[in-house]
Amino acid sequence: MRTWLPFLIAGVLLIGAGCAQAPTEKVAAAEKAVEEARTAGAPDYLAEDFTKLDGMLASARTEIADQGAKFALLRDYQKAEQLLTAVQADAERVKTETAKKKEEAKAAAVQAQKEAQDAVKTAQGLVAKAPVGKDRAALEAIKADVQGLEKSLGEVQTALDAGDFKAAIAKAKAIQEKSQAVSTELRTAIAKVGGAKAQAKPAPKK
Amino acid sequence: MLPGVVLTLVVTLGGCVQTAPPELMQAVEDLDRELAVARGVEFAPEEYTRFAQHWVAFKDRLNYEDDSIRWPWESNALALELEQLRQEGALAIQAAATRREAERRQAEDRVVHLERRLQSFTTTVDTVGGRMLLGQKPVKTELLVKQARSFFSQGHFSRSVVASDQATQLMLDQTAVLGKALGRYTDTGRIETWRKMVARAVDWSRLHRAVAIVVSKAERRLTVYRNGRAVKTYPVRLGYSGALEKRHQGDGATPEGQYRIIRKRDHGQTKFYRALLLDYPNEEDRRRFRKARMARTIPAGITIGGQIEIHGSDNEALSATLGCIMLDNPQMDDLFAVTEVGTPITIVGALDTANPVALALADLEWSDEETEQSAVQAQERQDTVGTPSLSETERS
Repeated sequence: MRTWLPFLIAGVLLIGAGCAQAPTEKVAAAEKAVEEARTAGAPDYLAEDFTKLDGMLASARTEIADQGAKFALLRDYQKAEQLLTAVQADAERVKTETAKKKEEAKAAAVQAQKEAQDAVKTAQGLVAKAPVGKDRAALEAIKADVQGLEKSLGEVQTALDAGDFKAAIAKAKAIQEKSQAVSTELRTAIAKVGGAKAQAKPAPKK
Repeated sequence: MLPGVVLTLVVTLGGCVQTAPPELMQAVEDLDRELAVARGVEFAPEEYTRFAQHWVAFKDRLNYEDDSIRWPWESNALALELEQLRQEGALAIQAAATRREAERRQAEDRVVHLERRLQSFTTTVDTVGGRMLLGQKPVKTELLVKQARSFFSQGHFSRSVVASDQATQLMLDQTAVLGKALGRYTDTGRIETWRKMVARAVDWSRLHRAVAIVVSKAERRLTVYRNGRAVKTYPVRLGYSGALEKRHQGDGATPEGQYRIIRKRDHGQTKFYRALLLDYPNEEDRRRFRKARMARTIPAGITIGGQIEIHGSDNEALSATLGCIMLDNPQMDDLFAVTEVGTPITIVGALDTANPVALALADLEWSDEETEQSAVQAQERQDTVGTPSLSETERS
């Protein structure tokens, strides 16, 4: 019996040491999943959920650290592994929901951009109908506004390209509102001063 | 058998599995939901993170740890922790509500002040005929003010403040542009020069016992002098950038200087009822134009312009001309009757330092407090958030 006792003790110690391995691969996988959720925009679109996800990862790390501080034979990483599995699953959910919210925000921004573009186009069409010659003095300021509105459409696209859909929507709606006001002003001015374009005579010097 | 009996007695009489009191669990769940509504992650990020991570860790322990036994004389650790969580959550909600209200007030004050400012600013700019000088800045300013209001209405207070700051800066820029272009209306030396021009015209009228016309652009007033005495005054409309110095064709400005009538156009000879054609450009105008051309402040291909008239109107709705001086038709009839080819026309900017353009420029000026506040706040935003519109953490 004495001859195999050392082997028995060594065997138990080896088995114990094997069981006490920290789940490093699972930690890396969980961290990668959280980072993917962050990159996808979760802090902006699902801020509370992302904060909690970060908290879950922190809990798992704390649990691993706590187990690591114990004597090897007493370590048990089962809870940590369960936490890490939950983190990965939740990160995937957050990433999917973020993508969905982002798509919704983008769709709303693109729609707002189209409406703004249509409104600017309408105003530009009215400017083209505006009278020339001496009568055009009344419309010079309005023309400058329409040019400014057209230029501002570029800022909407810049915001869209940067993924800042809130800014894109706010800019687009402001452009649409102003364009509609300008169109109303143009229609009134055209009605007052006449809509006929100069034909034969060149515009007089001033 | 005896050990079994002893164990049963122990469990029955004392030991209970430690549980989280359901009413406390519900209270903390409710706080979590309230914090989401209150946008705790945005307005109280530190407090929210502390609460959220504590809550998550607590729920993890409940889900993944084995039941523990609590003896009757021991306190329920889970209940104690839940109570602590409840307090943390309540503090986070309070912090979020306080900061949200402070940000809301700041954003509201800013946007309301800005909207009022923009309204008076726009009116004043139109009054001085400075609209064209500002190009696209006025419409860009208006768009920013609308965005500020839109962000405020949606509860995105920091974005509202950013837009307000940008609009304020644009208005300051426009004020500077107008000040530079119209500063001569506040220049006592320039006004004195104009007064002398008018004095010479009045003297000429007296010496020659004839009619002389004086136009003051700031007051938008045409005065008829006969024998050196003012006999009639009429309000006039000027070019759409009438207050500016005329530099070239198409600038919408009404020229200043001493001119003469070189032709009278009666009914049927002009589309503007009746007209008096002036000899613009005169020698002084040409000299100034050549100088500007050499300095390349006037682009190549642009001419000096001409056909400046005093005329009536075929359309009462016209509020501005391309540079001419416009009167109502009955007044044009009066003027046409008393003038002839050769009648001198003196056009000046203003005759008084307290003229409408100078007063309007004073209205446009921002108080030192407003200017300083705007600059400080813009710098603060730059220091703390870098690119404000993209780095704020907000929920969509």
